[in-house]
Amino acid sequence: MIFIAILIGCILGAILGMNAPMISYTYSSYLAIAIIAALDSVFGGIASVMKKNFDLKIFISGFFGNAILAILLTILGQKLNVDIYLAAIVVFVWRMFMNLGIIRRYYVEKWTEKLTKKEK
Amino acid sequence: MSNKTVVSVVLGFMCMALTLGICIQIRTVKNSNSTVSQNYEENNLRAEVLKYKERYDNKYRQLEEAEAQLEKIRENVAENDAGLEEAENKIKKANKINGLSEVTGAGVIIKLEDGKKNPMVLNPSDLIVHDLDVLSVINELKNAGAEAISINDQRIVSTTAISCGGNIIDINGERVGAPFTIKAIGLPEYLAGLSRVGGYLELLQGYGIEAPLEKSNNITIPKYNGVINFKYMKNVK
Repeated sequence: MIFIAILIGCILGAILGMNAPMISYTYSSYLAIAIIAALDSVFGGIASVMKKNFDLKIFISGFFGNAILAILLTILGQKLNVDIYLAAIVVFVWRMFMNLGIIRRYYVEKWTEKLTKKEK
Repeated sequence: MSNKTVVSVVLGFMCMALTLGICIQIRTVKNSNSTVSQNYEENNLRAEVLKYKERYDNKYRQLEEAEAQLEKIRENVAENDAGLEEAENKIKKANKINGLSEVTGAGVIIKLEDGKKNPMVLNPSDLIVHDLDVLSVINELKNAGAEAISINDQRIVSTTAISCGGNIIDINGERVGAPFTIKAIGLPEYLAGLSRVGGYLELLQGYGIEAPLEKSNNITIPKYNGVINFKYMKNVK
């Protein structure tokens, strides 16, 4: 059910994105940082599912809140002539790797458990 | 179950938003700079230039809208007053002479295109359309009675200079590259005389440059998009 919904959402988004009007180049850097923030929340959500403390409200607020906050920080950085978006990218990508690590560890442990059970 | 439906709907919506954003971003980046440089500084400069160009285009559109509004207001005012109507006609006439209004009419279209590689031509410079070639063609057009001329949508006005700018030509301070489409309004039969034997177009064709001329009854020539300033010129009393 959930996977079907995700799949439909992805396909719908891709089709819409192919036909959507192009945004102007000025705002593309904001969109880029928002995408990174959203991706980070997605991986965070998957990792929290594995840790069994997934909360939908936190996930939604993180998805949109992080994206908007990242955009606002980027705008502030451009006003102050400091590349704040670099810091945002570093933090988000770092967290992405952390979450990917958690996901990887979860599956590796599951697999080894299965193997050891077979041996017994 | 209802909880699960809510979760799946929300997740589907989020995935849609995410892929939508990614697709738009990819298309925007693909459209903006095809040649991505590794140089950070250079990329920044390119982004800056693109931003300014966009801002310029926006402002120019605003200016055009404002001018259209001004025109409408002037026409409304002039309707009720004979003296003002005369002044309005004068303005229109002056704009036509100065090249500050879009004009349409019959005329010719000349295309000047760099010649293809030809082993018979020893000097590769002969195959290129130079600023002087364009200048000579413009001169001949004026001689044949052209009333309005444009090169690649750059209007030729009284202050226009045509000069060499490396591999492009500077016209009105704007960079214009080959192929050149020269549009001229005037009596088509006279203007078509440019392709006569011994004319400049034939000379260019002799060098291997492609210079087709075609008559047309419906040519639209854009207005000059710069500002003509007279600083030192004063009326004699």
